[in-house]
Amino acid sequence: MENLSLQDLPPAGGPNHVQPALGGPPQLPPQMFTTAAQLLDLTDKKLLLVLRDGRKLIGVLRSWDQFANLVLQETIERIFVEDVYADIVRGIYLVRGENVLLLGEIDLDKDEYVPEPFRKVSAEEAHALKIKQTQDRKEPDKIRAKKLQELGFEAEHSGEILF
Amino acid sequence: MRVNLIRPILIPFPLGIPGFFKTLVDHEVTVELKNDISIKGILKSVDQFLNIKLDDIQVVEELKYPHLSSVKNVFIRGSVVRYVHLPSAAVDTALLEDATRREAASQASKPR
Amino acid sequence: MSFFGFDSSRGHPAHGPGFGTAPDAFASISQHRGTGQVDDDEGIDFDDTYDGLGDQLEEADDDFNDDTFGGGESKNEPVGKDFDFFGSTSKVTGAINEEAVRYNRQQPPPKTTVAHSSPPKQDSKPYRTGYEAYKNPSYIPELQVDPGLWGTGPAKPANDYGFQQSQQGEYGSGPSQQRSSGAAPKIMMSLEEVEAAMRAQAKKPTPISEPQQQTQAPPQFSIPQMQQQLPAITRDTHQQVTTPYSHAMAPQNMNAQHPAAPPDFGSGQIRIQQRPSQQPSHHKHRSSQILQNEPPTRANSTPQIAPNLQATAPQQILQRGQNMPHQAPDAQESPRPRQILQNPNRHSAQFGPRTDGAPPSAQIQQRGPVAVPNGTNPTPVIYHPSQIMNLPEEERRLYLEEEAKRAKRNHKIFLLSKGNGLMTPQDKNFITRIQLQQLMTATGNVNEPDPDASLSEDFYYQVYNQIENRPRQNPQQPLSNFAQTYLFRTGGRQGGMGRRYRGGDSHMQRMEQQVQRAVEAAKAKPKNKQLVIEGSLGKISFSNAKTPKPLLNIRRHDSSDFASRSSGKKPQVALSTTDRKAILKNIEAVYSTLMKMEDHDRRQPPPPTNESDTLSIQAAAEWQQTWKDLNEKLWTDLKVNEPIMPESASLHPFIAFLSYPKGKKAIPRIFNHIDENQRLTILTLVLIHLDIIDVVRLAQPQPHGSQPSLMAREQVDLFLQTVMPSLFSYVTEAPLVVVIGMLGLATERLNMSAVARTRVGLEMLTMVLSRAAIIRAVEAPEDEIWNQWLAVYNSFFDTIEPLLGEIFPASVNAGQDQYVWQFLAATGSGANPEQQQRLVLAVKDRVMETLQQSKTLPPEMASQRRGNVNLFMQAIGLDVDLLDG
Repeated sequence: MENLSLQDLPPAGGPNHVQPALGGPPQLPPQMFTTAAQLLDLTDKKLLLVLRDGRKLIGVLRSWDQFANLVLQETIERIFVEDVYADIVRGIYLVRGENVLLLGEIDLDKDEYVPEPFRKVSAEEAHALKIKQTQDRKEPDKIRAKKLQELGFEAEHSGEILF
Repeated sequence: MRVNLIRPILIPFPLGIPGFFKTLVDHEVTVELKNDISIKGILKSVDQFLNIKLDDIQVVEELKYPHLSSVKNVFIRGSVVRYVHLPSAAVDTALLEDATRREAASQASKPR
Repeated sequence: MSFFGFDSSRGHPAHGPGFGTAPDAFASISQHRGTGQVDDDEGIDFDDTYDGLGDQLEEADDDFNDDTFGGGESKNEPVGKDFDFFGSTSKVTGAINEEAVRYNRQQPPPKTTVAHSSPPKQDSKPYRTGYEAYKNPSYIPELQVDPGLWGTGPAKPANDYGFQQSQQGEYGSGPSQQRSSGAAPKIMMSLEEVEAAMRAQAKKPTPISEPQQQTQAPPQFSIPQMQQQLPAITRDTHQQVTTPYSHAMAPQNMNAQHPAAPPDFGSGQIRIQQRPSQQPSHHKHRSSQILQNEPPTRANSTPQIAPNLQATAPQQILQRGQNMPHQAPDAQESPRPRQILQNPNRHSAQFGPRTDGAPPSAQIQQRGPVAVPNGTNPTPVIYHPSQIMNLPEEERRLYLEEEAKRAKRNHKIFLLSKGNGLMTPQDKNFITRIQLQQLMTATGNVNEPDPDASLSEDFYYQVYNQIENRPRQNPQQPLSNFAQTYLFRTGGRQGGMGRRYRGGDSHMQRMEQQVQRAVEAAKAKPKNKQLVIEGSLGKISFSNAKTPKPLLNIRRHDSSDFASRSSGKKPQVALSTTDRKAILKNIEAVYSTLMKMEDHDRRQPPPPTNESDTLSIQAAAEWQQTWKDLNEKLWTDLKVNEPIMPESASLHPFIAFLSYPKGKKAIPRIFNHIDENQRLTILTLVLIHLDIIDVVRLAQPQPHGSQPSLMAREQVDLFLQTVMPSLFSYVTEAPLVVVIGMLGLATERLNMSAVARTRVGLEMLTMVLSRAAIIRAVEAPEDEIWNQWLAVYNSFFDTIEPLLGEIFPASVNAGQDQYVWQFLAATGSGANPEQQQRLVLAVKDRVMETLQQSKTLPPEMASQRRGNVNLFMQAIGLDVDLLDG
C-alpha cells in the first residue's frame, strides 16, 4: 500500500502501528496510481484512441470506469494509408477497456496538424486503399505464420493485429 | 570512464512492481509497445495494472505513426507494453535486488 | 441589481412602491413571456416555475411606466436615445433614500422564504444520475459537495438557510441586502457609461429591455457559482424567476450537445450567440463590461434587436439555454474539469474530489486567479483595446498572435466543453474509491502487525524515497534504519552516476592518504646520502650500463615460469554449470541471512538501564543470542572455512562467491556483521588466492598491449569499490604481526608475477606495505618483531624486484598508473638504501618517460603526473625537482 509510511521500529521492537501519510517519506497521493487518477485528467478532453486492432479514433472522452472502458463523443475514425489519410464520422463510441492500446491527449494548438507527406482524401478512397493494403499484406503473413507453425512457433500476437 | 553506464537497463515488464515505477515518476523513460512503437516521455504515473501515463511524448519514428504527432501526453494500457527503458542512473540495483528478495521471501512464507 | 448605477447596497426595496418597483415589474413581464415560451416548447409548466411573487407586487403606481420605459405596444416603435436617466434620477436621490429607509422599517422579511425551496426542487429531477446515494455526506465524507446544488440532501440546505437567516437578522436589511451581495461586485459601469454606450450603438434597443438584460446578466454569468450554489441568496422576484428557469434549461442543453441535437438548436445560431461568452472564464464576461470593448454584450442585445417580440422569446431561451450548460455543469457539477480545460498548462495533479471538498467561497477565490492569467495570457496585461495600440510593434504582433492562438484554442475548448460534466465528481470519486479498495485488498491490511511484512510490499519505493529524496518533507523524522542500511552501505551518495564511482573514489583517497603517511614516515628516516649526493651533483645517472641485461634475463625466465606454474599448479578456473548454480544459491543464502541480520540490528533493544531490570536484561541477552546464531549461519553460508586445497581442480567456494558481482557487493554488508577474527579470515583467504581470484586472473595484461575484456575491467572496478574498502578498513587497524603474516603468505604462496601485473594485486600489496611503514613510525615496534618484518620484506623485495619492469600498465600516455607509483612508494618507504637504489634502477625509464610526457600536458594533468612520480621519489628520499635541474 503506497500510503504506508516507513517508520523506525520503537526500540522495544513491539508491534508497530503504521501511520499512513504523516511523517514518512515524501508520499505521492495513493490516488495518483490508480487508473481512475490517470483518466481523470483526460476527462472532457479531445483524445486520440488507438485500439488493439489498429483503429485510430479521435473524440472527446466523456466517461470511463475502473476498467478503462471509455465513452467517446463526437468521434471520428482516422485512417492512415500510405501517404494519405481520411476521417470518417462515427459519433458516440463506447470502447471496452481491454481493446485500448493507448490514449493520447491531443494538443489543441496542434489539433489539425498531420505531418508531411500525408494528405487528406475522401473516406472511400482511403478505405479502398486500406483494403488493398491489408490484402497485400495478408498473403506473406500467412505464409510466414504457416512456416513458423511448422517449426512449432506461434506468431507473437496471433489473434490481434497490432499497428 | 565506462561508456556502458549510459546504457539503459531493460527490464522485462512482469518484474516491475508498481512501487518500483513510482520512484521513476518525472524521469524520462521510453516505453516500447508490443506493436513496436517506441514512445519516449516523462513518466507521470503508473497504476496497479502497470498502465502508464507519459507526458511530453516523442515518438521515435514519427512518420510511421503520424496519428501521434498532435498528441502531447498518452495513457498506455499496461497489457500492451513490451519493455520500459529506464535511465540506469535512477535505479538502485542493489536495493532493487533486496526488494525482490524480500518479496520472494514474503511470498514463500505465505503461499496462497 | 444595479443597472442604473445605484449603490444597491444602500438597501433599495425590491417590492417597495415607487421607483424601486420599476425593474421588478418589467422583469416579471419578461419572465412571463419567457417562461410561457418555455412552457410551449419544452414542456415546463409555467405554474411550476412561477413563484407567485409577481402577484405580490403593487401594481398601483406604474401607470406611467410606459411613458418612462416605453412598454407594451410602443415596443414596435423606434425609441429615441435622448433619455437621461442619470440626470433625472439624481434629482430624486434623496426621496429614494428616504423611501428605502421607510420600506426597510415596514417590510416583514419572511415572505420570500416560500420561494427558496422551489427552484432547487425544480432542477433536481433532470439531474438524477442514479448515484444519489453517495451524495449523502456519510457516504463520501471527503466530497462535501454542497447538496444545495442538487436541490436534495435536506441536511445541508437547512444549514445554509440557517446561515442566510442569521445573516438577515444581522444586517436587518432584508432581501435587497442579500441581492446586493451577489450583484454589488459587478457594478462596473456607471449609468452615464451605460447610456453613452447605448447611444453609441447603431441599433435602437428599447431602453426597457436593455437595462433589464444588464441586470440579469451580471448575476447570472459573472458569478454563477454564487448563484447556483447558494440558491437561497437569490431573493428578488427577478432572480427567483430566473434561477429555476435557467436551471430547468440546463439539462435540455445537455441534450443539445448530443450529436443528435434537435434541428432548432442550429449550430450557426448557437455559435453566434455564444461567441461573446465563449470565453470560458466568467471573469472575462465581467471584463467585457470593464473594457467596453465589445458592444455591450452582444449576445444580450440580440433579442432586443429583433422587432418582433414573439420571435425574441425563443431566442432568449436559446441564448440563455446555451449559456447555461457550460455554466451549469461547471458550477454545479464539476468546477474542476473546466478549469483544467481552460488552462492548457494545468497541473496534472489537480484532483477532482479535493476541489470539490472546498467550500464554495474557496472555489470562487480559486477561480479568480486561474482565470485572470489565462484571459490575458503571456505578454503584457491588456485591459483595454486601446492599450494594444500603444504597444511597440513587435510586442503588439506577438500579443495579437498570442491572442489569436488563445482565442482559437479557447473556441475549441468551448466547443468541447459543451458536453462537460457528464461524469460528475461523484462518479469519478466513486471509481477512484473502487480502485483504492482493490489496491487495499490486493496488498493486504494497512495496519498489519508486522511493519516489516507490510513494508516488503513496497520496499523499494519506500526505502528509495528515503534515500534519494532529500530534503525530506518532514526533517524531524529521522532517516529510517532501512534507509540508513542502504545509505551507509555505499558510503553516502547523491543519486545517479556519481554513486557508482564514489566508493571507488573514496577508497582511492584513503589509499593515497595511507601511502602518503607511509612516505612521510619514510622521510623521517635518515636520508639515503648516496642518492642525495648523486642527485645534488647533477642528474642521477639513470642511463648507466650497470645492470640492464640481468633484468631482462630474469624477466624472461620468470615469464616462462609463470606460464608453467599457472598451467601446472592452478587449473581450477572454469566453473561447471552445477557449480555455478550452487554458488549462486550460496550467494542468495548469504543475502537472506544478511537481511535477517540487518532486520535484527534494527530490533536491538536498548541497553538495560539498571541491573534490576531483568526483563530488559533478558531481552538483551536473547537479542545477543539470536545475533550469534545468525552470525554463525552467515559464516556457514559464506563457506569460508571450507578446506583450502591448492591442488584441487575446483575453486574455493568463497573465492567462487567473490567471482560474482553479487558476491562482491555483499562484502561491505558482511563486514558489518562479523567480528575481527572473521574479517581476518576473509582477508587471509582473499590474500592466499590473490593470484587466481578473477580480478587478478582475468585482468592480466594482454599481449600486444590490448586491454583486458570489458567484463574483466568492470569486475576489477567493482572489486575496488566493494571488497577493497572493507579489507582496507581492516588492514588500517591491523597489528604488525598480522601485517608480517600477510606479506609472508603473499611472498611464499602467490604467483607474484601474476599478482604484480594487476591493479588489485598491487593495491593489496601497497595496503600491507604502507601499513607496516606507518606502524613503524607511529608505534615504534620492538626490534625483535621489526626484524621479523625486515626478513619478510627482504624476501618480498627479492621476489618483486625482477618484476618491476612489468608492473606498469600499457602506455605511459594513458596516465592510469597512479596505483603503481603508490605501490613503488610503499615499497620504497620500507626499503634500505641498497634496495632503494635497485628500485630506482628498475623504474628509472618509466620515471623519465612520465616526466617527459607530463611536460606536453596541460598544467593540471602535468602536475598530477609529476605528483604521482614524486610520491615514489619522496619515499626514497628524492624529489622530481632534482631531475629537472
